[in-house]
Order: sequence, then C-alpha cells, then structure tokens
Amino acid sequence: MSLLELKNVSKIYGDLKALDNVNVHVDKGEWVAIMGPSGSGKSTMMNIIGCMDKPTLGEVLLDGVDIAKENSKKLTDIRRDKIGLIFQQFHMVNYLTAVENVMVSQYYHSMPDEQEALEALGRVGLRERAHHLPSQLSGGEQQRVCVARALINHPELILADEPTGNLDEANENIVLDLFAQLHAEGTTLIVVTHDPEVADAAQRTIVLEHGKVAREVINEHFDEQQKLWLARLNAENKG
Amino acid sequence: MTKRRMFLRMITASLLRRRSRMLIALLSIGIGATILAGLVTIYVDVPRQMGAQFRSFGANMLILSDDEKGMSKDQMDKALEGIPADQLVGAAPYRYIRVDMTTRQQSFTSAGTDFDQITKTSPYFSVEGRYPENPREVLVGKEIAETIGIREGSDMELTWQPAAGNAEGDPSEDRKPGAVLSGSAEGWSGGTVYVTVKLDDSSRIASLTIDAGTQTPEIGGLAQTDEAFSRQFVGKTLPLTPGEDVDALSGATITSTAVVEALNTARSTQDTVAAKTVKYTVTGILTTGGEEESYVFMSLEDMAGLTGSDIVDVAELSVSASAEELEAYAEQITGNVDGVRARLVKRVTRSETAVLGKLQSLVFLVTAVVLILTMICVSTTMMAVVSERRREIGLRKALGASDGSIRTEFLGEGMFLGLLGGVLGAILGFAFAQVVSVNVFDSSITFQPLLLPAAVIVSMGVAALSCLQPIKRAVAIDPAIVLKDE
Repeated sequence: MSLLELKNVSKIYGDLKALDNVNVHVDKGEWVAIMGPSGSGKSTMMNIIGCMDKPTLGEVLLDGVDIAKENSKKLTDIRRDKIGLIFQQFHMVNYLTAVENVMVSQYYHSMPDEQEALEALGRVGLRERAHHLPSQLSGGEQQRVCVARALINHPELILADEPTGNLDEANENIVLDLFAQLHAEGTTLIVVTHDPEVADAAQRTIVLEHGKVAREVINEHFDEQQKLWLARLNAENKG
Repeated sequence: MTKRRMFLRMITASLLRRRSRMLIALLSIGIGATILAGLVTIYVDVPRQMGAQFRSFGANMLILSDDEKGMSKDQMDKALEGIPADQLVGAAPYRYIRVDMTTRQQSFTSAGTDFDQITKTSPYFSVEGRYPENPREVLVGKEIAETIGIREGSDMELTWQPAAGNAEGDPSEDRKPGAVLSGSAEGWSGGTVYVTVKLDDSSRIASLTIDAGTQTPEIGGLAQTDEAFSRQFVGKTLPLTPGEDVDALSGATITSTAVVEALNTARSTQDTVAAKTVKYTVTGILTTGGEEESYVFMSLEDMAGLTGSDIVDVAELSVSASAEELEAYAEQITGNVDGVRARLVKRVTRSETAVLGKLQSLVFLVTAVVLILTMICVSTTMMAVVSERRREIGLRKALGASDGSIRTEFLGEGMFLGLLGGVLGAILGFAFAQVVSVNVFDSSITFQPLLLPAAVIVSMGVAALSCLQPIKRAVAIDPAIVLKDE
C-alpha cells in the first residue's frame, strides 16, 4: 500500500529544473534511501516531501492527499500530523533542555506530556541527559534527541536529511540502529544521504542525478541485515 | 502538562536562558517605562507641586462683604468652610481704617489682620525685625517708617477718629437691643476713659470693656482691671446715675464717674464711637515692594480695641487648587454664605493655569517622544532577536508550528518583557520622579497606587506594538531553511 507517490513532479527555478519529471513510489513501512551528488535535486525533493515546498508541476500524494494542491496552512497541518523530521544540523531549540525540545514537538502536535517525552529519550538512550541543554550534549546525543523528537508523535513517515552527516561512526551506528528499530515497528523511513553505508542500510535506494531518477537499487541483503540486527539486539539485551 | 504551561515554560526559558540578549530588550522597555512612569507621576503631581509654588505669589481668592459695613468673623469662618482644609493654604483677614499720628500730624492707613495667616498667604512679605505677637504691637510699612523715621522697637501713638458728625442726636436712640456702643469721657487729670458696651436683647448691659487710658494705674486704672467694678454694670439699663446705680472705685471717683458718663454718652459703633488713642510698639518694618509699605499693620484684636468693633473688610485666601476648582468654590461661597461673596484674583489664577498648561503639555510631549523612542528601541531589539532566531523559528515551523503559534510565542515573550519592564519601570520611575521632585520642587511625591498597573499595561502595550513588525518577519520565515546546509 503506497504512502507516498510522486507523479511527474518537476520543480523549475527559472531556467533550472531542480526536479525534472520525477516519479517515485514509497510503500507504507518501507525504508528508502535517496542518494545523489550535490545539485541532484535531493534537497528539493526533500522539501516537497516534507511539505515545505510545492512542485511546479505534477502530483505528490501523501497518504492519498495531493499535497501539491494544498495551501501552506494545510501543509503545516499535514507536516505536523504525519511527518517526523530529522536534520543534518540537529536543530534544537538551544535554550530548551533535551526533554523540553521533545515536548515542543508534542506542544505543536497535541498535548505536551513530559513522561512520554522522557520515555522517548529513554528509547534513544538519553534518559539520564533529559535535563541537559543542547550545549551540554554531544553531536550524537543531539541527533538522538532529534530522533526522539521525530518519533514522539508517532508519525507515518520519518523524513531524515543526512541524519548521520555530522556524526562519528559510533553515533552513526546508534542512529541506524534506531532506524532499524523504527522500521521493525512499521514506520516508513525516507533517508536522504550521500553516504553509501547509510544508503545500504535501507531496503531500496533511489539515486537522483540532474533532477531525474537515475536508477533504483534494491538491497537484496536487507532481510538478512534485519535478522542479524535483531539477533545482535537480543544478544545485547540478554547480555 | 497543559499547553499553557508548556507555553509559559518555553517563554520563561527563552527569557531566562538567553539572559544577555533579553536583558537588552528588558532594559529598553524598563528604561522607557521608568521615564514614562516618572514623567506621568510628575505630570499628575505637577499641579500640586506647582500649586504649592504658586502659592508664594500671594492670594488667589478674596472673600468680600456684600455691603460696605464689612463682614463679621463668623461670616468669614463660615465662608472658609466652603474650601477643603487640605487645599486652604491660608486665609488672612484684613480690615482697613485711617489712623492719625497726632504727634507727627500724619495720617496713615492701618490694616488689621492675622499675622499667622499673613505668613501663609503672603510669603513674599519681608520683615525687618519680627511680626507682632503681643497686644499693642504693630508692623510698619517701609514707606511710613522712612517718612517718619521710625525703627524697630520705637513707640507709635495712633488715634482713631470716628467720622465727624456721627455723634449728633440723643445717645438713647442708639440703645437698641443687641447694639454695641462705645463712648469716652474725661477722667482724672485730663485723661480719657473709653468704654465699649454690648447690650442684650432687652437693651440691658450684657458686657462691657473699660479702657482707663492714662488714669493712674493703681487708682483710676483699676477701672480697667477690677472685675468687681465692671461686673456691677451688667444687667443695668442706660443711662446710669453715678453713686446710685453703681459704686465708685475707692479713691477714684472721678474715673468712675467718667466711666458712667462715657456709658451714658456711648453711641452705636456703626456710626459713632469716640476717638481713641493707643500707644503701640513697632516690632518690625515691612518691605513688600507694593502698597503694603504705606500701611501700619496691627492685629485684628488691637484694631477692635481701637475702634470698638471687630468687623473684617476682606479676607485674602491662598488656595491650592485648579482654576476650575477655585471657580466652583467661589460660586459656592457666594451662593451659600449670606452677606458674603468670593472673587478670584484673576491675575494670579490665570497665570497659574497658563503656566501649568504649558508645563503639562511639555511633559506630555516628552512622554510621547519617550514612548515612540521606546517603541523603536524595543522593535529594533526584537527585530534582532527574530533574525538571530531564524533557524529556531524555522525549526518550530518545520515541527508544525502554525503562524498563529509563532505569533503567540513572540507576542508572549514581548508581553512578558513588557510586564517585567513595567514593574521595573514603575518602581524606578517613582524613584526618578522622587529625585526630580526633591531637586526641582523641593518636596516629595506620594506614590500613586494606580501607577503600577498603569505602567505595566502601558509597557505591555508598547511591547506588543513593538513586536508587530518583528513578528511579521518571524511568520514569514520559511521552514525549509532548516534543511539547507549552512
């Protein structure tokens, strides 16, 4: 069942076609990576999927709704209700603590619930750091707070823009573990990256070049990876 | 946790954890609120302050008798009841008579008054020496003092001469119920004895005062002080026969007879009183720069002793009130007190009103300028805050904040700053006004309880207005900025 469908989507800035007749299809529960060099249209596509921009041409169906036709107010509502965003630069409100940053997302979505926010932080292993300000957290910790923030409202789609771009390998693995876990729970993941290792963790990789879909790569080892990951997780839990 | 609590938590966190930034905004609101609160306090207080200052320019209201006979002290007191005690700075009664200084063949105007009140209604009076405090003391105008060469401590013999021709006809005509009569007769050794007598409802003697003048103090002079002697007259009907109706003072038959004779010839004080001479001591020389310098001032009591009546011609009032209030008081006194009318000294009240008006418009203008400057300052600061927090605003929008939420949050921060600034401003502003008041007007200000809520509301309003433009800019921020690598 499809969650997201881009049909003949183009985004044109003057003479420049940032996206040129792109067709993309993402099923519910799928883990998709979007790759491509700088200027390939990744950011434009991310903006459109994230309801922060509209295509010049084409349809963008998110959960059956054509978001290309909605006004910005409606787009804000859709983004808030259906999408959890994770950014490369982490982006936390720098004067709020980790738990407060998670609660901000709840605040805009529905009702702030500190207990639930603390549990989400526990899930990313930061229960102890909940009352620290961003300046007191490492980059990896900040990104994990952002993951907690993205998943707090149980979005249908988690959209991550270079989530590991500013992280060391250890933290990259933690984040990817979290993604695998979310995937196992049925959350749809779209991860924009230019890191092949991150892309390899996904089920499918869409490669963009010059605003067009150059190719799609199916990860044939994905089920194996998931099994290994589950086994490792169980071992860790037992250990 | 409710949304409201989270909202407050975010706002307070923003203000408290970003102290250095917010301190600048708070400072601009606080300083603005301080100056505003200070100016408003002064604005409100200026009439009172300046009113008190203006009072040094002299009386601004007169109370006059309706007729030429003058008013009684009772009438004046009744008229004064029409003015709130806290606004009445002073009320000086005046009575003017002509007195002769026979030794110098000079004639002056003498003013009877209340010296305690004069110092309040005419603070510009300058006295070399001191104001009279005891009976038979006078204050002499500089002009007179120079003309006759009199100094502080000199004696001055003044004669009051009733208007000629009044003593015609039979004295019995004047012996009406309630009349006040006075008369004089020659006593021992050519000296004059004066009497003033008040008749009761049946035209009997109710009371009398005897002025033995120059009679030998231990003998005839006792007529003035011996109560047993004077008491025997009470209840009797004029005329009296010496030795029959009253007993003479022992050894002072001539003086006693003179008292009876003075009584028998006594005429109503309204038109006939015998001339009387009294010796006064000069306690000071008065300089005013005005016509008062040609007057001899004595207490109303002394003047009553000299003339036998205690009427007042005019009362000069110094009232600390606005022109409108003064007019209302004057109207009320004229309408409510019989035989009396109140008038404003237009020259004084008009210039007061004009100066106050100008001063208040000046304060108003400065207040408006400060208000605008504060708004510009706060607006600029908030503008800087918005651009500094562009990413945060973008993030909030990316997380699903509606334009309304962004608006509410920034307005909330602005209003919170306004609240803090207002409280700060009210307190500091009062201190500021106090300092200005003490230094400029030389008096302290009472704290206006309304100042605090007013300052808070105004500064919250100013903060809210100043936030409008920055908020507009914040709302326009594109959430996609959070996705760009920078």
